[in-house]
Amino acid sequence: MKVALFVTCLVDQLCPNVGMATVDVLERAGCTVTFDERQTCCGQPAFNTGYRTEARDFAKRFIEIFETSDAEAIVIPSGSCTAMVKHFHEVFEDDHEWKERADRIAAKTHELSSFLVNILGIDDVGAISNGKATWHDACHGLRDLGVHDEPRRLLNKVGGLEFVEMENADVCCGFGGTFSVKFPEISAGILDNKIEMIEKSGADTVVACDASCLMQISGRLSRIGSKVQTKHIAEILASQE
Amino acid sequence: MSTTHATSETFDRNARAALADPVLHGALRNLADSFVVRRQNAIASAGDWEGLRDRARAIKDETLLHLDQYLERFTENAKKAGATIHWARDGKEACDIVLELVRAKNANMVVKAKSMAGEEIHLNEALEAGGIEPVETDLGEWIIQLAGETPSHIVVPAIHKTKQQIADLFVEKVGIEQTDNVDVLTQTARKILRQRFAEAQVGVSGVNFGVAETGTILILENEGNIRLTTSLTKTHIAIMGIEKVIPNFADLDVFLKLLPRSGTGQRLTAYQSLITGVKKNADDIGPDELHIVMLDNGRSRMLAHPLTRQSLACIRCGACLNACPVYQQIGGHAYGSVYPGPIGAVITPQLFGLSKSKQLPYASSLCGACREVCPVKIDIPALLLHLRSEIAEGSTAAAEATTRKPGESFAFRMYSRMWSTSGTYSLSMRAARLMQRVIARDGKIGKVGGLISRLVPPLGAWTAWRDAPVVAPKSFREMWREKKK
Amino acid sequence: MMQSSSHSDARSAIFASIRENLAKSAPFDEARHEPSPVSSAIVAPPATDLLEGFKESLELVGAKCTFVGDESEAAARLRAIVSDISATEIIVSDSELVHRIVNAAKLDAIEDASRDELFSSDVGITSAQFAIAETGTLVLESGAERHRLVSLVPPVHVCVLNASSIRQSMAEILELVDPDANPTITFVTGASRTSDIELTLAIGVHGPGELYVIVIKDR
Repeated sequence: MKVALFVTCLVDQLCPNVGMATVDVLERAGCTVTFDERQTCCGQPAFNTGYRTEARDFAKRFIEIFETSDAEAIVIPSGSCTAMVKHFHEVFEDDHEWKERADRIAAKTHELSSFLVNILGIDDVGAISNGKATWHDACHGLRDLGVHDEPRRLLNKVGGLEFVEMENADVCCGFGGTFSVKFPEISAGILDNKIEMIEKSGADTVVACDASCLMQISGRLSRIGSKVQTKHIAEILASQE
Repeated sequence: MSTTHATSETFDRNARAALADPVLHGALRNLADSFVVRRQNAIASAGDWEGLRDRARAIKDETLLHLDQYLERFTENAKKAGATIHWARDGKEACDIVLELVRAKNANMVVKAKSMAGEEIHLNEALEAGGIEPVETDLGEWIIQLAGETPSHIVVPAIHKTKQQIADLFVEKVGIEQTDNVDVLTQTARKILRQRFAEAQVGVSGVNFGVAETGTILILENEGNIRLTTSLTKTHIAIMGIEKVIPNFADLDVFLKLLPRSGTGQRLTAYQSLITGVKKNADDIGPDELHIVMLDNGRSRMLAHPLTRQSLACIRCGACLNACPVYQQIGGHAYGSVYPGPIGAVITPQLFGLSKSKQLPYASSLCGACREVCPVKIDIPALLLHLRSEIAEGSTAAAEATTRKPGESFAFRMYSRMWSTSGTYSLSMRAARLMQRVIARDGKIGKVGGLISRLVPPLGAWTAWRDAPVVAPKSFREMWREKKK
Repeated sequence: MMQSSSHSDARSAIFASIRENLAKSAPFDEARHEPSPVSSAIVAPPATDLLEGFKESLELVGAKCTFVGDESEAAARLRAIVSDISATEIIVSDSELVHRIVNAAKLDAIEDASRDELFSSDVGITSAQFAIAETGTLVLESGAERHRLVSLVPPVHVCVLNASSIRQSMAEILELVDPDANPTITFVTGASRTSDIELTLAIGVHGPGELYVIVIKDR
């Protein structure tokens, strides 16, 4: 299957190896991956902060770029960016033409783990990753997209990986986009609860499908000198050791 | 008795104060931990929980879409049964009506059952100013009345207080001996309030549901104070938000299955009173007069769009508060509004004005836990996003233009322009890569203070608690280009 | 008293505002007002034996339930309860069933208690017009029986009812009760309670702290 990758600005600039891992996993799963270099951002920060004019600009760009692709699916290593694409029609209000175009693009857009399990129908990508890992349910992925079982199925098939479920895996990490810097104390309080559950699980690695959550969690783990690592699910699935 | 209460205008300050309070932290932790389990158990006993939610939401949608018709039917039937209906455009009008009714009975005190609508209109203040003593009878409300505070939760008003704090309060205000026994504290309240019930002539309550078909009001509780308030007194005044009407008597089944489970994890609360007008014979038990005060106070405005109209579906269960990670951190007082938590963040700006509460819609990570637990499926995140766009783009009345933030607005416009082509996007990130050398150490960015945090406030805010990642030396698109060669 | 013109002003203003705002929303409603998928019937958990279900539900909410075969057995049970709680001042509703049982139990009771008698009584005995098995709820209709205060003010409430009054679900009860004939219908499920202090359960706040139910099985 030919897929078009939307790598997300966060992954592109802050953790590019997640992007490379995503490509590896998709190729290993038998896909041909295309990457349109014109892409930048899905506009989520603007939409979430209330700047719908700017969000509309980003949405139009995204739609225009991906309309030129003949790929069967658009795959994104991010639950929140995928959710944004699914919500593009909200920035178009009464503009029926753009709404339809948005919906068409949204219909073929998938978060990575959901794409692997639900579209390709696979849960074993032949990965090997030794260690004890736990999964954090990123909010948009879980509640907007319904992604819950897919990553667990994928992780349980990873060779050498002991998967442990943490308490309150489905509770927010406290990122919430600009919330994390508008109300940093509250964000940190929520984050500390998440850290507590991670430590309680005994895992040496926290895995998620969203680089933003991982940035929030790893930022605190690093600040408190914890040995626990964070990994994007793409990195685990691309791993061969 | 009255202290200065935090307002929603100082939300960030309020939140910081709340976070620094370890006692509050413990109380809120207790709430969060117990809520999850109790709710799971309650749902398990409900049968088709999702079906119930859908049905309840459908009933509310239908009612709100035809609110004028259902209100007419409700008030006509209530009148036929002997109730007197009053209409209040706003809180002040409602308070004036209540005050006049109380004065007409020559009463100098009233017993009050817990009513959020009553809190909303600041009824106690108005009664006191009018020389009438309001006596709260719900245990949680009585506790905060003694403490001179406002409720911090829709269902458990004193949840922010520990047992010890309550005991100390009773020792100070009521003169009991120090104790840590909850039963002793409860029996103290029972004894004292009994005396007030015995002398009360006028009772004031809220309304959970008003049934259009029969003119019945339903009020539910666990303690029994509502039953006492509405059966021992001669005059019952009920304050009812206009959104509380539902079409049919049989509809009560759905809401009675959802509200107790969502609110307190119970299959049913201990008591429900279904009151239809007044007694038929003079020597029957109960009040001679029932006055229902129909309260608008900004509700009708919310009917103007289906998105905002769903705010009126709220049945005041408090589940969203219990599920909210933000509420769990800061409690209710920080919101500075009678309605805290997720539902509070969306109805406070709508009822009382955006400009006074413009921080509230932003005080959320948009996690959606509230939407998940809401028995009537209110899409609170969608409402928060809508309010944020009103605030950021100032699309409502000119007066609300005071909510726009020019600096932030400029920043987002720049972000959109710079990232409108991959060329300028890459350029901006190359610049970031250069500039971060000043603050990056060992592949990450630690605490950033001083001038830099003043120039780039988000960086200071982030790094106060968390390390920040650096922009990678090579972006994905550069790696991709290399791979393709 | 109330200025009638300002009253009708407020009423008209509120209705005008409602209609005006609903009109504003109309264009969006046409696009979005799809009927939501609604279950046609409330799917209740399967009913077990009605009486056993009622007893289980009562016990879940801390009420004590006894089944008896006839009124004389009910009287014996009542005597036992009164003795257990060391009650000396008993008040009763105007239910004939209650009167018969109290007499059979040879107990002195006050009907039509005064305010003082109400507040100083040890136990209140009433019947109930209906009961709900799925929740352990007693249904009191004010037009049928004067039990509003007798069931509420004393620290203990004893309710005697016929098994035939019991139904499975709230939905059935809402069909059966008559709000037109009964200005107050009260649903009682267990004892008065609160969790207002640190979410710790405390029983017997303003209403009775103990509830006994005696069910007379039909022949």
